[in-house]
Amino acid sequence: MVIGGGIAGLTAAWEMARKNIAVDIVEKAGFLGGHAIQYSCKATDECQQCGACSVEAMLKNVVNEPLITVHLGFQVEKVSKNGQFEVFLKAGDIDNPNNENCTGAYETAPMDCAAARGYSRHNAKFYDKKGRLDPEKTGKAEKLAVDAIILASGFQPFAAEKKPTYNYGIFDNVITGMDLERCKRAYGELFRPSDKRVPEKVAFIQCVGSRDERLGNLWCSQACCPYALRSAEALKYKYPDMDITVFYMDIQNTGKDYSEFYEKCLGNLNFVRTIPVDMYKTEDDKIQTRFMDDEGNPAEGIFDLVVLSIGITPGADNKELTEILGIELDKDGFFQAADMLSPTMSAKEGIFIAGTAQGPKTIDVSMAHAGQAAREAIRFVREAK
Amino acid sequence: MNTETKPTVEMEEITINTDVLVIGGGPTGVKAAAEITDNGYKVTLIEKTDAIAAGEKSIEALSGTCLVDTRGIPGDFTVRLEKKGEIIEQKVGAIVVATDAYYEPLNEDYGLTLADNVLAQSEIEAALDSDAAAFGKKTVAFVTGFYHESNPMALERILSSALVLQGQGCTVYVYVNNIKVAADGLDLLYKEVRDNGGTYFKLETPPEITRDGATLTVTSEDPVLRRPLEISPDLIVVEEAILPDDLNEGLAEILRIHTGPQGLLQKNNVHRFPVSSNREGIFVIGSARQTCGLSAALTDAENVALEVENLLGDGKRTVAVDQAVVDRGKCVICLTCYRCCPHGAIYWDNRAIISPVACQGCGICASECPMDAIQLGDFKDENMQKAVKESIVAKDDEPNIVAFCCQNSAFEAAEMAAEFKMPLPAGLRMIKVPCAGKIDIDFIMNAFVEGADGVMVMACHAGNCKSDQGNTYAEWRVADARRMMAETGFETERLRFVTLASNMGSEFSSIVVEMEKTLQKLGPSPLK
Repeated sequence: MVIGGGIAGLTAAWEMARKNIAVDIVEKAGFLGGHAIQYSCKATDECQQCGACSVEAMLKNVVNEPLITVHLGFQVEKVSKNGQFEVFLKAGDIDNPNNENCTGAYETAPMDCAAARGYSRHNAKFYDKKGRLDPEKTGKAEKLAVDAIILASGFQPFAAEKKPTYNYGIFDNVITGMDLERCKRAYGELFRPSDKRVPEKVAFIQCVGSRDERLGNLWCSQACCPYALRSAEALKYKYPDMDITVFYMDIQNTGKDYSEFYEKCLGNLNFVRTIPVDMYKTEDDKIQTRFMDDEGNPAEGIFDLVVLSIGITPGADNKELTEILGIELDKDGFFQAADMLSPTMSAKEGIFIAGTAQGPKTIDVSMAHAGQAAREAIRFVREAK
Repeated sequence: MNTETKPTVEMEEITINTDVLVIGGGPTGVKAAAEITDNGYKVTLIEKTDAIAAGEKSIEALSGTCLVDTRGIPGDFTVRLEKKGEIIEQKVGAIVVATDAYYEPLNEDYGLTLADNVLAQSEIEAALDSDAAAFGKKTVAFVTGFYHESNPMALERILSSALVLQGQGCTVYVYVNNIKVAADGLDLLYKEVRDNGGTYFKLETPPEITRDGATLTVTSEDPVLRRPLEISPDLIVVEEAILPDDLNEGLAEILRIHTGPQGLLQKNNVHRFPVSSNREGIFVIGSARQTCGLSAALTDAENVALEVENLLGDGKRTVAVDQAVVDRGKCVICLTCYRCCPHGAIYWDNRAIISPVACQGCGICASECPMDAIQLGDFKDENMQKAVKESIVAKDDEPNIVAFCCQNSAFEAAEMAAEFKMPLPAGLRMIKVPCAGKIDIDFIMNAFVEGADGVMVMACHAGNCKSDQGNTYAEWRVADARRMMAETGFETERLRFVTLASNMGSEFSSIVVEMEKTLQKLGPSPLK
């Protein structure tokens, strides 16, 4: 069984199915692909290797694989070990990203309901014509018996409301990186929520919810510099006149040829090494912020749109899952791996950890980690037989 | 509304060699060898130096050995190894490249020569290991990330040494540009060094370092007080770059695999991640493909065990008989196909032969072959031309767009647009191709001859083609076709080349709708 149908869960399930192992994926949301399936392509005139399309491809593999059974809208309630693991499922809290309930509307206005399908057509097959999850296709079993468990329950994006001075949720034109992804995924464009116009001046603020002592989030989320810089580059390519500023503490490496990529960014984007704190709304519906510029002089920035590069934080169910599975969390609240050299092994035999459940990761690193978890789980299952 | 060619299903079973060659006897190579052995395959591990990290006994380990030549195809490679002048020939089914990285001190960047009071990172690590107390109460300055972008592995080494020094009562300064904390636990380590009294100078430009005999002076602008700041440390520690093995370049040539940025193996292409190369049956792992630490390298080693098993299985492979076939009569062994195949799947005896195991079915060779001697099972020329004919819609009021779509990207995007009922022109017809590299100029021209108002060639973004250059070939052919159209006075706007990704349904929709508008303005094709 794989807990979680995000990119790590999909990859692990697919790798095991390729070795003729039957897999159940239990996903609490109403679609497969997790957060990553909602990410947009960030290509300029060339691919920037963000990996979003890999998620789409992996999802296609999984939904077409007969050895994989998908349980959408379910979560694990209880696990007992009696030789095999006996797993009891309960209804999941289907939290679709935009809190839409589009039952019935899918036939007439499917794009409005795409969010509930992770924007991927490969999830559409789990739904009936009325737009409800089809129990024939999404698994009904309330009890499973499995040989091994891969925990790929993922992360939750930092809730930007916890940094109240940014006024996220209050000012329309302060959005998160996740909002930007969804907007681009659904419409292929980026526009301001307030007037649906393409913004001319955009600010990205890095490290929102990461490397933040006051919040107790003492980790780098590892994915935000890559996604923000790639998004900014993609926007600059699509809208050459767009003026983009990146506020940062330390730029982290992006991709395999990071030096070259960073050089390119330095040419296209404004970098300011400070993190602004307060956001105000101007009369003409722009966002104003003040900061010290590179020379140490007070400066003021007025932006049409501010994007908060929110980070990766431990999953909402992590504590509950530790109780169900009898494994531990690390000091940051992610699942504790045995050690750095075996980062997919949990303290409990037969339970393996994959992807961001273990700690912040980018898409490609999650996939490699999930492959490793699958490898360990396959070994375990074969040895048990 | 889609015209798809019918797949053929004639299959045959072939037997393949399941032995594996692992190149590189460091911890990554040894781990990969152990994992692959664990799956029941026989492994030969070679290492250029005389030192092989301890491994299992069942692995044949050859030290002082290099790969000098490789021939053949996945499942049937012949490798020639050289061990101290002696040539050993072996047959293997798969090859794993697991070369290690090495450290190179960057002291010259800072105008420094290594000395008693200027140490490279490796030197201080060794010195701390043997006698940390010797550093008691010294002032130590680390410099990193000014001339080369640094990385989390380098930072972790610096901070670990800094902590040990602080334990000896040392005062630690770290001169750094971007602090590369993007790894598990590093931000915490960074703060620990600071909380122990360490000082970080985050500078955009390098500090000035002078040495006058035993006296070192580091001058920088204090970023907070905005005035020059001088420090005279007892010791400066210079960062080290992590560089890929010098063997890589030669290996890439011998194995006919691509190199990527900074002398690493494997192009920067998401379809290759984590451990694949452009050639089936040849894998690259750990420091051979990325700047990484041991943990990530071992992750690769486990992933390669999965991939090797996927390829070799139980030694039997079922392959499509006609995936890509060379017509013996037409082939003149010009080797165009051999040169253009991105997967190294083609070899020859008295004609070109395409390995069904190595072939990825992209069809670039079929489109490039000057003799039209290569046909692709599911996408034969006759089927493609038939698909073109069937895509012609004889209606005057709606422009007929024939869109050749790569099955990996544009076709997926089109399906997404259709699923979510995004606007699509009524006269749009898609023809699925295995790769944009299989779109012959003939197909494009024929679509116009048959009466299409517009033709679109829809490929993957540059750097995202599964076959590396399929999109480039497609772009060239479109440019050629446009030139021919311009010469005959045919509107070139009727032919467009665009690139898309599989998840760009809405972009697909807006691009084809825009094309429809263009064609409406131009009116029906004069060839209609």
